Amino acid sequence: MVMCKDVVENIMEYIDAELDDKTLEELEKHLDECPECQAFVRTYKKMLELTGKLRERTFVTPDIRQRLKELLKSKLKPN
Amino acid sequence: MIDTITGQRGKETSPPDLVNTTDEKLIELFVSSNDERVFEEIVNRYTNKIYRLAFRITRDHHSAEEVLQEIFITLINKIDTFRGGSKFSSWLYRVTANASYMHLRAEKKYESDVSLEDYVPYDENGTLMGRIKANDWSERPDKALLSKEAMEIIEKAVNELPEPYRVVFHLRDVEGFSNEEVSEVLGLSVPALKSRLHRARLFLRDKLSDYFYEWSK
Repeated sequence: MVMCKDVVENIMEYIDAELDDKTLEELEKHLDECPECQAFVRTYKKMLELTGKLRERTFVTPDIRQRLKELLKSKLKPN
Repeated sequence: MIDTITGQRGKETSPPDLVNTTDEKLIELFVSSNDERVFEEIVNRYTNKIYRLAFRITRDHHSAEEVLQEIFITLINKIDTFRGGSKFSSWLYRVTANASYMHLRAEKKYESDVSLEDYVPYDENGTLMGRIKANDWSERPDKALLSKEAMEIIEKAVNELPEPYRVVFHLRDVEGFSNEEVSEVLGLSVPALKSRLHRARLFLRDKLSDYFYEWSK
């Protein structure tokens, strides 16, 4: 019998659609009946969406860029 | 004519379309020509990515800047040692990760012994414990979840991951690498990195639930 634990331990494959048909069917049956697991899947997906936004952040300030430019200027030999 | 890193003006000849040139071709061009416009394109392409990875590993802006500078100096001095056996980006991330670990070790902040392998959200009966639905924050408006304050919360949660999990999560879920690419960068087997990624995601889902629940009070 599928339990919450099975949803948790198969969540990566579930999200990536990598489960075999039988496992998928059993998990979805449990999911249909388990509000806790439904909330788990929703918050898991939302967590992935939000953490993916970190890719858009830049920590490199103009000062860091300028220091890097100055340093590389001294290291690069002009043609 | 363009101004370059050294302040020299670019050559009159039509420059190649550097923005649309592959990394590997750029390296080839730089090795053969020493053209600083080519190097500048590599710098533009990778500055943010190198810094983000270095900061994710060291959690220290000063160390991240030092790593950033070290990596580009290494590139200038040793770019001809890149043999093209792997993707340039994988090679660069590997060198960046290694330099970042050196900083962590030098500052005695390396924490590879912290394990999340037993981290699970369910009880001994394999059942979720009844607070996930009660604390479900997934339907909150994007305006709140994507606010500056929320992004700081997310950043804080990721930085709480122990390092071996943090770097896997960063490369796979933040930078969007495939399992195979992360495996190549970190020298980890795909099953090992998937196991770390799984625990990291469970930890983060829990952390975000705690933070967003507290935040909404």
